[in-house]
Amino acid sequence: MTIREALLRARRRPRHLGAGSPTIYRGDGYEFVELRAYVSGDDVRRIDWAATARSGELQTRVVLEDVALTLAAILDESPSMRVGRRRPLLDAGREALQTWFGAATGEDRCIRVTADGVTPPALQRTPHAALGFTARSDRFDVTRTLRTARAALPRGTALLAIGDWYELDESLDRELSALGARFDCTALIARDPWYDGLPLGGLVRLRGAEGGYTRAYVGPRERAAFMEAVRRREERLLRRFELANWRTGVLREADGAQSLAGAFGLRVRLSGVEG
Amino acid sequence: MIVDHPVRLLLGLVGVVLFALLYDRLARRMTARDLAYSNVPFFLEAAQPRQWIPRALQALWILALGALVLGISGPHLTVPVPVRDGSVFICIDTSGSMSSTDVFPTRAQAAKSAARAFIEESPQGTKTGIISFAGAASVIAPLNSDHQAVIGALDQIPLPDGATAIGDALKLAAQMLPATGHRVVILITDGVNNTGNDPMEIAQWLGAHHIPVYTVGIGTPNGGLIPGTNEEATIDENALRGYADASGGAYARAENATQLHDALARLGRITSVTHKPVDASLGFAVGGAVGMLLAFLTGFSVGRYP
Repeated sequence: MTIREALLRARRRPRHLGAGSPTIYRGDGYEFVELRAYVSGDDVRRIDWAATARSGELQTRVVLEDVALTLAAILDESPSMRVGRRRPLLDAGREALQTWFGAATGEDRCIRVTADGVTPPALQRTPHAALGFTARSDRFDVTRTLRTARAALPRGTALLAIGDWYELDESLDRELSALGARFDCTALIARDPWYDGLPLGGLVRLRGAEGGYTRAYVGPRERAAFMEAVRRREERLLRRFELANWRTGVLREADGAQSLAGAFGLRVRLSGVEG
Repeated sequence: MIVDHPVRLLLGLVGVVLFALLYDRLARRMTARDLAYSNVPFFLEAAQPRQWIPRALQALWILALGALVLGISGPHLTVPVPVRDGSVFICIDTSGSMSSTDVFPTRAQAAKSAARAFIEESPQGTKTGIISFAGAASVIAPLNSDHQAVIGALDQIPLPDGATAIGDALKLAAQMLPATGHRVVILITDGVNNTGNDPMEIAQWLGAHHIPVYTVGIGTPNGGLIPGTNEEATIDENALRGYADASGGAYARAENATQLHDALARLGRITSVTHKPVDASLGFAVGGAVGMLLAFLTGFSVGRYP
């Protein structure tokens, strides 16, 4: 199963009937699946008259439903995402974004959402062009970005939001819920680079990616407190998104594509995302 | 504290301040050793690291440097030094009012008893002497480092009788004291100077020669009648305070035997020490060096040194 299929299988799957790629659902479309006996209520335009003549009974052509998806994405590209243990978290975020837009087929649209606006319509048909649409500011204005998404995206859009969410204060929970009700939302929460162990000991100098500086002594007590706080923060963020009816996952520094697949309960193989 | 080389001190302190500013500026400069993290405020809230430790180390460096700077400035500290060869004259009033019984058993007995305790507690080597005064002053015991001999002489103090010649007693003490050394006069009286030399003049002369007069006024506020007379025994506290102030001493009031004993014990502590300037260059230099070594070793052991 692909991410696209997973999105279509979702309970609140977005439907924009049109000349997109066939889905796994049988319905209006062009891709032939099988012939079956006519059932009362079948569209008469689907009756295969040649097959009916051969068999002597009314035969209906079953085709796959065609749906064009709108895949939208928010990616926090602020300096806080440019840190990591082995590589910047942003690299993993971009991988996840590529995988997300890579799931687009046919007439699916790909839209990047930033605080300044969304990908212009002319560029929405090309995932590569959508990827290149970035925010003008280095700072991730989460409030404006979420509000832009709500205002600019069509209902039923599959929205992926990737970030470390330090800027997500409690007052934005209503906004998250509004988005969760309107779109098929997925949140990837960047896992703290030091989630598995604080690589600090003794007197340390620490510089914040977005400013700030401290000199402090870090001992076992501080390490334990930090690990606990990091875990609690991640759990709290996941719970907040889930309460707002978002699909959630954790963005791991090592593999952005796998992190995205994990949010859908899928895993990545060399040939692509599989179920 | 006084310093021999204030220019050195000034320049040194400027250097220390510059060092502190430079240290802070250099510490804030981004280096390859810095670790970057997404959100420092979150880290501080989550880990609650002990930020006071690096600050304390920095302060230790600065203090140690400051001590070294002081060390090369030739500092002299005025410190209390025990007196081994001091001279103390106790002038005891034996005027008629000292026979008053408002202080048990009498003012004269209480004064004698307190003087005995004072002499007993004086440090070894301190010379003590006794002068008694009424209408005139006389030496009961000349200055002597043999405390027992002086205590024995206390019995020779005459019975209370006559006027109060405070000025004569102070003058006699001034004549009997050595020309140099740590010298103190203790005056125990209950009355008003009414004969002889002007005590204020003598007190000022004593003060000019660095001989403080500690005055102790003995008697209850209501006083009492002088036995055998209708005269009231009163204390001229302002005058006693004035003698003390003029000579660099202090005044104390004792309304009973215990207070008198305490006052003399307090005087004993005061008169048994002197304040002398001591060259503290070596102490500051060693303290600064030890502080720097301590800061270095501590910083090294907890992961960093400047």
